[in-house]
Amino acid sequence: MEKKNSHGMDAAMAWKAVGAAFAKLTPRAQLANPVMFLVYVSAILLTCLWVLSLAGTGDAPSGYTLAIVVMLWLTVLFSNYAEALAEGRGKAQADSLRKSKGDVTAHKVPSVERHDEVTDVSSSTLIKNDFVIVYAGEQIPADGTVVMGAASVDESAITGESAPVIREAGGDRSSVVGVTTVLSDWIVVEVTNDPGESFLDKMIAMVEGASRKKTPNEIALQVFLVALCIIFILVVMALYAYSDFTAVQAGMPNPSSVTTLVALLVCLAPTTIGALLSAIGIAGMSRLNEANVLAMSGRAIEAAGDVGRAHARQDWHHHAWQPPRRRVHFRRRREDRGARRRCTAGVPRRRDARGPLDRGPGQAALWPAWP
Amino acid sequence: MAHVFIEVALDLLVLVLLAYPLGSYIAKAMTGEKTFMGKVVKPIEGGAYRLLHIDPSEEMGWRRYLACVLAFSAASLIVVMVLLMCQGWLPGNPNGLSGMSWDLAFNTAVSFVTNTNWQAYSGETTLGWLAQAAGLGVQNFLTPAVGMAVLFALIRGFVRTKGEGLGSFWVDLIRGTLYVFLPLSLVLAICLVAGGVPESLSGTRYVTLDEPIAVDAAGDVIEGAQIDTNAGTVTVDGQTVDDATIVTQEAVPQGLAASQVAIKQLGTNGGGYFGTNSAYPLENPSAFTDFLELISILLIPAALCFAFGICVKSKKQGRALFAAMAICLVISLVIMIVNEQGGTAQLAQGGSVDLSTVGQAGGNMEGKESRFGIASSSVWAVFTTAASSGSVNCTMDSLTPMGGFVPMVLMELGEVVFGGVGSGLYGMLGFAILTVFVAGLMVGRTPEFLGKKIEPPEMRMSVLVCLATPVAILVGSGVAALVPQVAGYLGNSGAHGFSELLYNFSSAGGNNGSSFAGMLSNTTFLNVLLAFAMLFARFVPIAAVLSIAGGLSGKRMVATSAGTLSTTGPMFVFLLIFIVILVGALSFFPALALGPVAEFLGSAV
Repeated sequence: MEKKNSHGMDAAMAWKAVGAAFAKLTPRAQLANPVMFLVYVSAILLTCLWVLSLAGTGDAPSGYTLAIVVMLWLTVLFSNYAEALAEGRGKAQADSLRKSKGDVTAHKVPSVERHDEVTDVSSSTLIKNDFVIVYAGEQIPADGTVVMGAASVDESAITGESAPVIREAGGDRSSVVGVTTVLSDWIVVEVTNDPGESFLDKMIAMVEGASRKKTPNEIALQVFLVALCIIFILVVMALYAYSDFTAVQAGMPNPSSVTTLVALLVCLAPTTIGALLSAIGIAGMSRLNEANVLAMSGRAIEAAGDVGRAHARQDWHHHAWQPPRRRVHFRRRREDRGARRRCTAGVPRRRDARGPLDRGPGQAALWPAWP
Repeated sequence: MAHVFIEVALDLLVLVLLAYPLGSYIAKAMTGEKTFMGKVVKPIEGGAYRLLHIDPSEEMGWRRYLACVLAFSAASLIVVMVLLMCQGWLPGNPNGLSGMSWDLAFNTAVSFVTNTNWQAYSGETTLGWLAQAAGLGVQNFLTPAVGMAVLFALIRGFVRTKGEGLGSFWVDLIRGTLYVFLPLSLVLAICLVAGGVPESLSGTRYVTLDEPIAVDAAGDVIEGAQIDTNAGTVTVDGQTVDDATIVTQEAVPQGLAASQVAIKQLGTNGGGYFGTNSAYPLENPSAFTDFLELISILLIPAALCFAFGICVKSKKQGRALFAAMAICLVISLVIMIVNEQGGTAQLAQGGSVDLSTVGQAGGNMEGKESRFGIASSSVWAVFTTAASSGSVNCTMDSLTPMGGFVPMVLMELGEVVFGGVGSGLYGMLGFAILTVFVAGLMVGRTPEFLGKKIEPPEMRMSVLVCLATPVAILVGSGVAALVPQVAGYLGNSGAHGFSELLYNFSSAGGNNGSSFAGMLSNTTFLNVLLAFAMLFARFVPIAAVLSIAGGLSGKRMVATSAGTLSTTGPMFVFLLIFIVILVGALSFFPALALGPVAEFLGSAV
């Protein structure tokens, strides 16, 4: 298959990200990343000090303060930009997914027994526990469970698998997904999701980064970074007190200004790694996307340090005419079964796509960014 | 310098030889297995349970365990405070000393309840034997037992898999006291009495001096005075000194010293019976007692490493933790001894001070235990700050800049180089959890420790364990540095004055209790501030450790796979030391640079 443009972006997307970088300057958006929030607060504090120094009451020369203020704001903006860019790429993916979703006509029926009393409605009006009948050649309007009949279904839009699969009432091959197509026969499907909660919606939301779950390692890393920040804040505050103490003893004014100490704090804090933390995860998803693999969760990225191997397995089933949208189940550890069930509810499982991928150097790439 | 190091090597060898068997004994005693002490102690133990209505089979959840620790410590705090403040009205006070002020009593009570034993008072002139024995002595036994109880709760967290609880705090407390601390300190106390440490209920004794001395009105000894005791006149160079007083008797303080000295050494307490601690000849009369007291500082903390290994069924793990601590200890010893023996450039100038080691004790002898020389004093200073003991036999204030740097750093690392009884090892385990996580990130492996997965809740709590000491020290010393009066309490100015301030807060924040001296610390402000630093540094890690234990006890064991990072090999030992030093260095580099390092650079010119 053809890879997308290796960076997956164009100039328009980059400009959009610049706009988003500014839009993300609200405290609420910044709070999501504690390390960058620290830089953000420092930047605001120093901006105030700079204004004061213009009025002649600051604690350092105004040019010096201004230089530091500019650098701090640039740091914040760059972090926002990196994140917005990663999100933008996700959004582009999501848009293409959305296109495939579209509205179709659904043949709603009152119940399984009365499956010949068909009412045609739009697929977007279907709610949980509605029944629809789907004939050969039609798109299945929503996620659901086959409650009557059996049919061969083309699931390539979701799984990339070109060979049709059989879906029938009863047993564990009864679930179907919206946007897949019935190739032969007919089935009655009980809808299992309300609009907006379908499998495809979840995929879109995830790709946009909105509901990207943090992996346990990412959370623990965040804890570690916050701990480092706390140390550095205390160190810098203590340093101010110490230098005041020493200066008083030496009979001179405190030589360390708040401006310098804030600059020192930002230098000490693990800013680089903190700024890139969210971008790393989303970039991981993008990387998988380029290989036409859709990561199901943050944990999948952690698991997929070994994407090359997943790719090879996918190619095995590749057919040129197939819309390239594939997905991989990564084997999870036992206690995570619940999560997998939630994640892939109603979706047929492709055993052959599961591989020994649960370990890999996923996070290793983080370390060169250590400040 | 070779024979100095031979002495140190012998100390360490004896320590390991004693700690190893003691470790397996502690493991047996604390898990309720049969021990050779069982015949004697078992009936007492059973009697204690019946008397106190303790159910020995009770299993506490971590919250209940923590509540018991806190309630017990709060009750201890109140009892000690009452004893200290009311000693004027209580018996057991042959010298008729009055009660302590509220702030000194609060500071002292907190310091003994947190196993810190910071002393802003002088024992022989402030406290009668009842307050010493019933107040402070009892805490000397109980606080290390509390530390050990928390450690064994954590061990149960590692070992258990079904969340069945962490054992009973009361049982752990009683077992630790009865099986470990009482028998050991009984043996040590008898040895100390044999060595000449007083153990009596009488008040101060007076001994006639062979040669009377004369003091002036300010109380200073008059040098070269000619004393006529019959006429009561003092003359210097033929001139009569009018306001001179002739002293013919020496006051020798008495009390229940030996028993308290024994447990203050064994329980990493360090609160001396007498003001100058083990530098006082009655607290440490001979080379024999000096050696015994020295070894007992680190005996139990070192033994607990081995006990840990036995209890978690991985003796290798115990040895790895011991190795990490021992390496830090040896490095500290070498830095300390080289600096103290070599002195400073000023001492060496023109050969004015004897820096040799042959024939007599040379080197920076100011403030040292002059009977035993550099090696003994340096080893003691390192041991006492590595373990959170704080007993001293030399004046830290008189150490060379880099010599004084070593004890300060050992305290600031969070008292994890052996550390306090129990508290040192659970602190180190906090660092170990941090280490497996960081190592896991670097190599892309899932963090596991002793078969338990390390997840964000454990990370959060181990970060608390590791940061409690730096936070207490930095905030405490920062606040003190901003208060203008504090500069007036210091004995020195400049970098050394700052070292005094930093050392005292490091001592409180590390729950160590040793004093740099040179600083007037019995003031209301410092008493209260130091007390809060001690409380924070003691109970925040305890709460975090118990929370980790509670979380781990419900996790099933993960089978060791090729992806598991070995936590017993040299690689892990190296990483662990690295992380401990990293956190310490990040936290204290600026502070140390302004104190001892500035002083060192200043004196090196």
